[in-house]
Amino acid sequence: MLQITDLGYQYPHSNKPALDGISLSARRGEVLGLLGPNGAGKTTLISHLAGLRAIQRGSILVDGVPLAEMRAEAPTRIAVAPQEYAFYPTLSVRENLQCFGAASRLGSKLRDERIAQSLAFAQLERFADTRAERLSGGLKRRLNLAIALLPSPALVLFDEPTVGVDPQSRAFILEAVKTLAREGTAVIYTTHYMEEIEAIADHALIMDHGKVLRDGTLTELLAEGATRLRLIVGNMEATAACSLLASLGTPRMEGEYIVVALNPGVSPAAAISAVENAGACIEQLDYGHYNLEHLFMALTQRSLRDD
Amino acid sequence: MPTRVQLLLLGALIRKELTILVRDAHALASLFLMPIIFIVIMSLALKDIYNPPLFGRAYAVDVQDKGPLAAELMKRWVEMHGEPRALPADPTEALRHGDLRYVIRIEEGFSQVVSAPGTPSGVQVHLIADPALEISLFRATEAELSALVGEIRAEALQDRFTGMSTKGGQAIRLLVKTERLTLSLHPTAVQQNVPAWLIFGMFFIVNAIANLLVQENDNGTLSRLLTLGVSPGIQLLSKGLPYLLVNGLQAALMLAVGVWLMPLLGGDGLSLSHIHWGSLLLLLGSLSIAAVGMALALASLIRTHAQASTLGPIINVLMAALGGVMVPRSIMPSAMQTLAGYSPMNWGLEGLMAVLLRHSSPSEIMQPVLSLAGFGAVMLVAAVILFKRRTRQ
Repeated sequence: MLQITDLGYQYPHSNKPALDGISLSARRGEVLGLLGPNGAGKTTLISHLAGLRAIQRGSILVDGVPLAEMRAEAPTRIAVAPQEYAFYPTLSVRENLQCFGAASRLGSKLRDERIAQSLAFAQLERFADTRAERLSGGLKRRLNLAIALLPSPALVLFDEPTVGVDPQSRAFILEAVKTLAREGTAVIYTTHYMEEIEAIADHALIMDHGKVLRDGTLTELLAEGATRLRLIVGNMEATAACSLLASLGTPRMEGEYIVVALNPGVSPAAAISAVENAGACIEQLDYGHYNLEHLFMALTQRSLRDD
Repeated sequence: MPTRVQLLLLGALIRKELTILVRDAHALASLFLMPIIFIVIMSLALKDIYNPPLFGRAYAVDVQDKGPLAAELMKRWVEMHGEPRALPADPTEALRHGDLRYVIRIEEGFSQVVSAPGTPSGVQVHLIADPALEISLFRATEAELSALVGEIRAEALQDRFTGMSTKGGQAIRLLVKTERLTLSLHPTAVQQNVPAWLIFGMFFIVNAIANLLVQENDNGTLSRLLTLGVSPGIQLLSKGLPYLLVNGLQAALMLAVGVWLMPLLGGDGLSLSHIHWGSLLLLLGSLSIAAVGMALALASLIRTHAQASTLGPIINVLMAALGGVMVPRSIMPSAMQTLAGYSPMNWGLEGLMAVLLRHSSPSEIMQPVLSLAGFGAVMLVAAVILFKRRTRQ
């Protein structure tokens, strides 16, 4: 449904690109999870898809049609559920939906139908006549979602939609995203929370510094052959052991443990042999597959929440 | 031509703007209440500037002459200015402290000198004024006193040489009639302040529009509307058109305050009788275009609430000070008057004064109307350019 090829973008007065050759695809009925720390380029990518930035390099096709052409014909095919509470606080829930329904060019009859459906989907019927500013944080997120879904978009972009919400609302939003995908909508979901991607995404894409670092199904990413080794060594300083293991992967200290994200193709046995051949002994050892955070660490050398 | 869908969209966005405005007590207060308060306070405070009372100014007399003409002079002065205060021991000190506004001293021998033919032998009447007395009042008092002395001298000489006395005095008033050509109206504090603060209030929409645009930018609704394909042009129109209506309501309310409320509060009433209503509507329309255009251009430039709440009022107040809203242009020095001619608020004010005081026809106010509309058009073009640039960032 969506095909992005070699997308590049550099802000004026910046000396490095915000997006540097991004390529990805999203399909109907699937959730594409977009992971990256602040400054990775997620928001710039989303703003391109939302039509808020002109393409400097590369292409974005929606069902084979260039994005600009598609937006000129049917701008509401792509909707955004932004991070901010993007609605008018002094208007009621219904008034907000009416306003954005009109902005989506829905005729009055269809608009009323879609408002009723969106209210039901977001379970906001009881709050339809409440002013948006009086809603709780979770309900505001739901209103954000309801507004995005008004024009029945083919692709919905969720930009960190669960920031600052209570666990119930978070669970509700994740379930809603899965429901949307089941109903055939293509979803791109950006977040800082890896467990959310693991819970809802079919594909995941890890990006940093404007580049795609990994792209694949969750299964592919988590079983990429990469392993995580956790060990305590004797007869050798931990820093010296880290230096030794740096040629085989990405080591770091976690308390008394050395944790190594092994490079692809490097087996745990090779790492153990390297340590023992250097005269150290292994006092404690465990290993297993990455979760997304470990994979991210191995790829970017920094935490998902780092700037 | 806009399509039906575009018109429906525009209608929905205008309805949204109006609903938001109606629920914003602060915006309503600054747009409607603030100018009304200014009109009431400034009209009452400046009432006497435009119509100085004959009575009530504290003065004293020092009459050294015991003759009949000095008594006649004082009798006529008291008729026009009320009873004098008791002469203090040190009149100069009383004037410096502001206890008295002026003192008239009539020298001994006044009656004899005034009734004698030929050139008077010396100064017979002194007018000594409080240093803080407004120069216009000083000149008026001086002129009145000179005229009265001249009249008494003329009567005395006439009586002496012809035996014909002008009984009842003040013959000069029978000879000279003054009339101001303003269709029986004359400028009052209300007639200066209602148009002045109405214009100030109309231009104050810049704050409301700028704050709204900053809020939309901050909370993502601006991006959301752009994502939905709502063009910058439609967005600007949807913000500008409701404020044309707001300006219309402001004008109706302020004029009503001048006509009905001010007389109830003891001020002069604003008279709209005999004015050309077409001229009034034309001028208010062009004023509104100028105000909305400027508001949209500034709002497109402003990025934060702090800027909106400082830059907007500062520009408004400066334009008002320059444009004759706070100080009438007619009493400014000539250099300032020239500068005032560059302020759109002054174009509007001069135009409104022409409509309200001179009952000008539409053709007679074309210059301010075209200047305001032209200014508004330039500002609207600037607003579109700035808004497009803003939405691309």
